[in-house]
Formats: sequence, structure tokens, C-alpha cells
Amino acid sequence: MTTTVSQAGPGTQRTTRRRDGLRVAIAVFGVIGLVIAGYTTYEHYNGFATLLCLGGHHGHSSCEQVQSSLWSKLDGIPVSVLGLVGYFVLLVSLAFRGELFRALGFLVALIGFGFSAYLTYREVFTLKEICEWCVGSAICMTILMVLTGIRFLRGGPEPA
Amino acid sequence: MASRKQQKEEARQRRLEQERARTAQAQRRQRIWMLGGVLAAAVVVVVVAVAISLGGTSSAKAPKPGTPQAKQTFSEVSSLLGGIPQSGTTLGNPNAKVTIDYYGDLECPICRAFTLGLDGGGFPQMVKDLVRTGKVKVVYLSFCTATCTNHSHTLFNQQQVAAYSAGQQKLFWDYADLFYHEQGDETTSYVNTAYLNDLAKQIPSLDLKTWQTDQTDPSLLSQVQGEDSQASKLNLPGTPTLVAIGPTHETLVNGGNFPTYSTILQAVNAVS
Repeated sequence: MTTTVSQAGPGTQRTTRRRDGLRVAIAVFGVIGLVIAGYTTYEHYNGFATLLCLGGHHGHSSCEQVQSSLWSKLDGIPVSVLGLVGYFVLLVSLAFRGELFRALGFLVALIGFGFSAYLTYREVFTLKEICEWCVGSAICMTILMVLTGIRFLRGGPEPA
Repeated sequence: MASRKQQKEEARQRRLEQERARTAQAQRRQRIWMLGGVLAAAVVVVVVAVAISLGGTSSAKAPKPGTPQAKQTFSEVSSLLGGIPQSGTTLGNPNAKVTIDYYGDLECPICRAFTLGLDGGGFPQMVKDLVRTGKVKVVYLSFCTATCTNHSHTLFNQQQVAAYSAGQQKLFWDYADLFYHEQGDETTSYVNTAYLNDLAKQIPSLDLKTWQTDQTDPSLLSQVQGEDSQASKLNLPGTPTLVAIGPTHETLVNGGNFPTYSTILQAVNAVS
């Protein structure tokens, strides 16, 4: 993955390694987000029958309350499905080089971050319930926004 | 000769540097434009998504009393509640073996979904199958959630007391059900004296003068405040929260979950 010293100097090699590490970090958090969104989407269509939740209240799950609330759908589409699509597009954008794909990844992460922030506000202040999966996804999106932002602003060539 | 060659090389290096600087500057400029575009697009998409989300949970304001829309809404309320005994905030046979305590907030959108049977909310079927048949009675208790998040305890007390005053005429559930039917967006200030009066005017059998006088009854305010404080002490997870109370023991019906009919039935069978 890294370029050889004969092709580029040691400084370039260090930069390339940093960029490579950045892409790996984006891929890791993208996959974590994708797994969370996939799991919550599966649970949504499975009637939350096997939904795991750490945040129990009197032995009952707060995740189900959040994920079956009025805020869990956008115009009839479960937000977990939107998250699934978002993480997928973000990972696809990572597989391609070029300014446009870096911008696309950053755009998706920014939208994901903004909407996650709104949904977290609804969880805390309207529903007064916390769903760990939703918080996990919101954290992933926040980290991805920073990482894809750095990737976009740095620009320059990336390793294949 | 060597010096000339060196000068040429230096000039070539300078040209290359200048070219690189120009290219880098052009790329920076392009990236700044793209950054602006990305930020603007993200803001637009998030704002539209939030607007759609808010639109999906808000509903029309209370229709004017006497209009066909108001009559239609009240006929839906009557078809659910008509013929079932009411007393204060209690709905159903006073001697029913099982009591369901329903902690709610009239501005809470999830209570609305539950009470109107939206998104699988179990209230209408519970009334039809368990309350109307005399097996269960439901007691409404006030717990300030959505109203206190977006507004204040003062507004909460006002709206809940308005509903409890209808209860003095055995019409609490008619008033509460109407409120949920015509509930607005919790983040807007749609609840005011005019809104509460318009709801009352839609209930044909409600004596308006008595209803208005009853709103000044301090015992109703104490009742609302006492229930709210009790719910806070119990550390209830939110609204709606249902507790099923049987002859010997009681159980939390839904805790943090959205109460469907099957969860209610399960809890009722468990405590019967």
C-alpha cells in the first residue's frame, strides 16, 4: 500500500502512511456504523423481538421505546434504513480516489452527523430515553465527520 | 560555464516552484469552493429532514366547534368511549378486577399515538376488549414530560386541570381523547386558553360554565401536582407509562417500551 523510497522521499512515505491510516480509520468506523444500522434495521422489521439494550428501565428496554417512537421514521422510512444507506455510500466513496469522492464522503458524514444530533436531542429531551445503538451510531458519525473532513481538506493524491 | 549552467538550473527551479505554487493555489481555491458547497448541501439536507420529521408528528390545530370536522372528530371519540362509565379520571367499571394506571401528558406525541392506536398503540383495543367488557378500568395520572421539556409546569397544570375539570362532569376521557386527536406540534405554543375552550365546546354534553368554574378548584391542581411529583419519585421512564394493578400484585406494563395491545394483555393476565 505504501510507496517505495526509490519512488518518493521519506517525507512522502510518511504522508502516504498517514493518509493510508486515515482511510483505514474511516473504513473501521464506517463498518461499525454499518453493522449498527444493519442490526437496528433487522430488529425494526423483526418487531424488536431480539433487540439487545443495555439501558433497561424497570427491566424494560429503552431502545425499543426510542426505535418505535414517532421520531424513528422519516416520512415512513425507518431512520435505521437511512443510516444503512448513509454508511454504505460513505464506504463506497472511500473505495474511489479523487476530490469528488472525498467531498461525497464528507457530505454524507456531515448530513449523518447533523441528523444524528437532531435525533439525539429528541431522545434526551422529548423521549427522555437513551438508545445505546443510536448513540453508538451518532458517535460513529461524529468521528467520521472529523475523519472525512480531514481527508477532504488535506486533498492530494492517495494510495490505491 | 558551470556558473551559467547553475543559473539556468536555478531559473528552471524557480519557474517550477512558481508553477507548483500556482497549481497549489488553484487547488486550494477549488477545495474552498467545494467545501462551501458541501457545507451548504449538508445544511439544506438536514434542515429538510428535520422539517419532514416535524411535519410527520404535528397535526392540525383544533377545528372550530360546530364545524363538520369537529363533529367528525367527536363522533370518533364517542364511538370509542360511548356507554363506558367514567368518574373523575377513571374509565370503566369501578369494580373491575384489574386497574391500569396510565401516566400521560396531553402534549406528549407518543401518548397521542398510543391513545389513538397509531403505530400499533394499544389503547383503543384495550378499551374495546378489556374496559368495555368490565375486566379492566383505566385511571389517568398526570406526568409532565413533553410539556415541561418544551414549555413549563404552569402550562402543564393549566391543560391537565382543564381536562380534570371535564372529569368533574364524567367527561375527562372525552376531553383527553379530543386533545390527543387535535394535538399540535409539541414545540409550538398551540395550547392556550382559547385552544382549551375550543376543545370543551366540541363536547356537546359538557356544561361550559361549570367546567370553567371547576378549573379554579384547588383540589384539581393539587391532584395534578401530586401525581406528577409521584411519577417523578417513582423515576418513571417517560410517557405513556402503564402500570397494571391486580387484586394481589402489580406490574409495569411497558416501562420504556411503546405499549401495544399484546403487552397490555400480557400484563393484565399476569396480575389477574
